[in-house]
Amino acid sequence: MVITHGFTGWLKKHLFGGFWNTLLTIAVFTLLYLLLKPFLEWSLVKAVWTASSRRECLSISPDGACWAAVIRWSNNLIYGRYPDPLQWRINLGIGIGIIWLLPLALKKIKHKIVIGLMAVVFYPFLASYLFLGGDRGRLHYVIASVALAYLFMLYMNIILIYLGKKQTGQYFESLIERFVPRRADLLGHLTFLLILSVLIAFIFRDFSLQDVSTDVWGGLFLTIIISGFSIVMALPIGILLALGRRSQMPVVRWFSIATIELVRSVPMITVLFMSVTMMPLFFPNTMDLNKLAQVIIAVCIFAGAYMAETVRGGLQAIPKGQFDAAKSIGLGYWYTMAFIILPQALRAMIPNIVTSFISLFKDTTLVSIIGLFDLMLMARNISIDKNWFGLHTEPLVAISVLFFIFCYTMSQYSQRLERHLTKGR
Amino acid sequence: MILNRESVDRPSEKKGIAKARTAIEITGLNKWFGELHVLKDVSLSVSEKEIIVICGPSGSGKSTFIRCINHLENYQEGTVSIFGEKLESNKKSAVLIRNNVGMLFQNFNLFPHLTILQNCTLGPIWLRKIPESESIKQSMALLDRVGIAALASKYPGQISGGQQQRVAIARSLAMEPRIMLFDEPTSALDPEMIKEVLDVMIDLAESGMTMMCVTHEMQFAHQVADRVIFMADGEIVEIGPPDQVLKNPKWDRTSQFLQHVLSHKS
Repeated sequence: MVITHGFTGWLKKHLFGGFWNTLLTIAVFTLLYLLLKPFLEWSLVKAVWTASSRRECLSISPDGACWAAVIRWSNNLIYGRYPDPLQWRINLGIGIGIIWLLPLALKKIKHKIVIGLMAVVFYPFLASYLFLGGDRGRLHYVIASVALAYLFMLYMNIILIYLGKKQTGQYFESLIERFVPRRADLLGHLTFLLILSVLIAFIFRDFSLQDVSTDVWGGLFLTIIISGFSIVMALPIGILLALGRRSQMPVVRWFSIATIELVRSVPMITVLFMSVTMMPLFFPNTMDLNKLAQVIIAVCIFAGAYMAETVRGGLQAIPKGQFDAAKSIGLGYWYTMAFIILPQALRAMIPNIVTSFISLFKDTTLVSIIGLFDLMLMARNISIDKNWFGLHTEPLVAISVLFFIFCYTMSQYSQRLERHLTKGR
Repeated sequence: MILNRESVDRPSEKKGIAKARTAIEITGLNKWFGELHVLKDVSLSVSEKEIIVICGPSGSGKSTFIRCINHLENYQEGTVSIFGEKLESNKKSAVLIRNNVGMLFQNFNLFPHLTILQNCTLGPIWLRKIPESESIKQSMALLDRVGIAALASKYPGQISGGQQQRVAIARSLAMEPRIMLFDEPTSALDPEMIKEVLDVMIDLAESGMTMMCVTHEMQFAHQVADRVIFMADGEIVEIGPPDQVLKNPKWDRTSQFLQHVLSHKS
């Protein structure tokens, strides 16, 4: 066995430095061994990976995990009951989302906030066009075309930047400057986007997708849709409510306080039930409300109210001098908030904000109670499948691992972000 | 610009110029913090290019007074006019203040999340709508003037207090104000840094800026002030040229305070 000097040195210093220290180390490791051994035996050593029913699992290995069920159901766990031959649309949609956000990690790219904002505003239209299919109306079609055009333009520009050439929009600048002297750079980009959008809308004019109702959406896909939507919406809602709560205008302040306190003092499950039973009362009969949309609205408001208090905490940490300084150079309320106060407040609150996001991601499992087939309900459904009847543990362990992977990634990303933002301060 | 800055390079002539234009006109200013009457019927008229130093014991209302001039504080009674235009709490007044009045604070109040350069260019780019490249050029010239152009890409947390205060001066100047207010600009600084900030302020004074300065730097007052104001209990107790107020004060309060300040300094 080869052990480097550094490693043995580390062991000596941290684990076996002195009698009590050594004793404690041995005790902890013994305990860990005793606790983990049965779990590892069950989950790995004696586990069954291929079988067609629970009975078969038990006959192969009576006290091992029956992972075969999870594997057989893996497609359902990920896509819900989305029709098999159409699942490429989900993969494509999620893939486009990832591709859209990738440039944010590139160093040479400027105006990342624009890329992020465009993603938040336009991507949902493109994604929902893919996921829902069917005839979604002309407006939706146009916006989805713009979204796709923007994505193409973004990548063209990235390639041009890395080649050291002018960006696409800049080729129009000199032409536009003849007519409109101001902001020719921005107008150049917009012109190119417009041309590309028209082109894409023309190319895909006969393109149609089979309609897939949201009733069959489910699994990890649905969990990501609900939590992704509410995570993105929670921040702006939270910021507006937090600012409203500190506002000088009484009506705005009262409204914000009422919303925050009302939503925060009710359990999330109640908010969810209210959204499906009560929300239709507020809308005209003719409007066809969709259960998924209602749930997403409810989760957004719920998460927004909690986010508002987190953001307010960040706002309170900003010294009054910052407001004075902003006012003394003449910045108005919205400029002060956008450039001075919120960047500092949100930066200070990153750990808390990400904690909210993580708990929100996990809380979305509650939608299973009102009958949405998210990851949780899909996992529970395995136990009522006649082949796997009564099998509870394995699916739950499996989705726990999935949840852990997602949440741990988020937490690691937030730590990276924090380090990056505090660099050089 | 209406202002003719011909006298910029000839500071010796400055005091000889007939002070025709009124920069700041304050009449009957009254302010209460709840029950506490912090400003009692304060009136003052400041001419263009005049340099006023305000001193007085803590709690005398001098900071509140100076903060009323650019509406950082509200007041219950009285009027403040800048270049003949009365200030109200509306958008027009805000623009008037923004275009004419700059302010410096005891704690510098730089924006810690922006670089030195970004601190300076933020206002010009977003409020005066100057193109970014031009604004950077202008701000770099100002940073050069206060002697810290080399630090433009640093963050406020990485430089000393004196340097931060000089950045704050450059940030204010970037908005091209005609009036500068100073709220104890050197009180949070170490002695060796006070000088570097005062030097910049003296340079500003000599360039023809209208200045109102709350400070206890008597040397500075002697050197550049046209008038010195002594405030106590929310009132202007004494006002006059520095020689008169600082050397032969009429009131006991003033001489007592001056003795305190001077003995503390030496």
